[in-house]
Amino acid sequence: MTCGDCQELLSRFIDGDLEEARTVIVADHLAVCAECTVMRDDLASILAHCREGELDEAVPPNPAALWRRINNLIESELPAEIPVEVKRKGWFGAKLSFSQAAVAVVAVALISSLLTIVGIRNYFAPPGDEMSVASSGPPSLFTRALRRVGLAETPQQARERRFRAQEAAIQYWNARAQARRATWDARMTAAFDRNLYEIDQAVSEYTVILQHDPDDKLSEEMLDSALTEKLNLLRQFSEL
Amino acid sequence: MSFSAKISRRFSGLRKAMALLIIGVVLAASGTAFGQRRFSRSYPAAQNVRIHLINRSGTVTVVGWDRQEVAITASLDAPAAAIMPQNVEGTIFVNLVRDNQGRDVGNVNFNIRVPYTASVDIETLIGNLNVTNVRGGLVRAHISSEGDITLTNINSYTVSAQNGIGNIFFDGDLTAGGNYRFASVRGDINLRIPFTSSFKLVATAPSTRNISLGSFSNGGMNYLGDGRRVVGKFGDGSSTLTVTNQRGSISFIRR
Repeated sequence: MTCGDCQELLSRFIDGDLEEARTVIVADHLAVCAECTVMRDDLASILAHCREGELDEAVPPNPAALWRRINNLIESELPAEIPVEVKRKGWFGAKLSFSQAAVAVVAVALISSLLTIVGIRNYFAPPGDEMSVASSGPPSLFTRALRRVGLAETPQQARERRFRAQEAAIQYWNARAQARRATWDARMTAAFDRNLYEIDQAVSEYTVILQHDPDDKLSEEMLDSALTEKLNLLRQFSEL
Repeated sequence: MSFSAKISRRFSGLRKAMALLIIGVVLAASGTAFGQRRFSRSYPAAQNVRIHLINRSGTVTVVGWDRQEVAITASLDAPAAAIMPQNVEGTIFVNLVRDNQGRDVGNVNFNIRVPYTASVDIETLIGNLNVTNVRGGLVRAHISSEGDITLTNINSYTVSAQNGIGNIFFDGDLTAGGNYRFASVRGDINLRIPFTSSFKLVATAPSTRNISLGSFSNGGMNYLGDGRRVVGKFGDGSSTLTVTNQRGSISFIRR
């Protein structure tokens, strides 16, 4: 056996892991080789030191306290370390099929286009209603399309809604005015009737025009003004 | 009884009847005179004083004068009518409707003197409103039903005149940056302003289409809606003039 062969087996020799035959051969070489014997002693002392360190760490000074600290540490860090299951979802986080997603994309594009067109139209629209042409022309294709799909009120619908509200207020104040009428003198009563007549004539006039030309902005504005006049007249006289 | 005595007695009865008739007429006339009551009160006023009057029936006349004083006089049909002006932080309030708790007190005709620089805000249910020689910040005259509005020698930044049935006449200046609004249901609206005026105009007379611009007609004025509205600019358009007459005419007169 050479020194090289002996040194390769030294670690296993010290640990007692070698077969008996090889153990005898290594022992015979160590008996005659001072160099390998020195190496064996060095290696043995290193291994002995390592075993002592393992023993110190393996036996803590207060195992129960150490275990509680470890346990607390695990409990405090456990939620943060729980792996979150990440579910892979469909389009935009919802489970949409491809056709649904396509429809959504088309809808967004359509709405964006409409808003852009509306914005451009408003930007280039002439400022101020009173300065605009009194009797506006026919509505644009865009406006008609919006009305057809129900996204915009027709002039008639908007006007009727507004006038219904005004009529309701007029009815209320008219009832109150009629209840107070008996307390007015003849001059007041005559003045009230004359004014109401004039306003009603104006209202009737504008209503007829709007029936023929629902887009006549000027008549709409004047009708609105006349109804407001009527409301004010009724309110003033009902408070007498 | 003799015939002459009978004649004498008959004439004596006639004289008594005549005397009673004359006394009755005199008492009736004096009763009317005594029935009317006069109200008079004065207040020292700052230059920017504001008068705010709400009447129910009668004529209100406000005239500017060269005194730092507001003088209110009124003649009342009903002796029991109450007038209780209030002077609150530079504004003199006269609210006849509130002071009489809505009772009909007949005609109350006001004659009010204010400093030239006062603001005037007057309204009535029925009756005429007149304002003269005022150049405060605001002149507002509002008639709920019938009556004429006459505003003469006015030089205010904001003017508003509105009535139901009746005429509106304005004779004054349009101040740069000012706002002028005249509205009637039925009547004539006449505006007399200097030719040097500068304004943006929206005049609407939808029923009569009778809008006469006179000397103020130029290329900057456009008739719209089949002549129911005139929109345009005169001068550099530094003030805003809005005139609406539902069932009457609108006329401009050069001063």
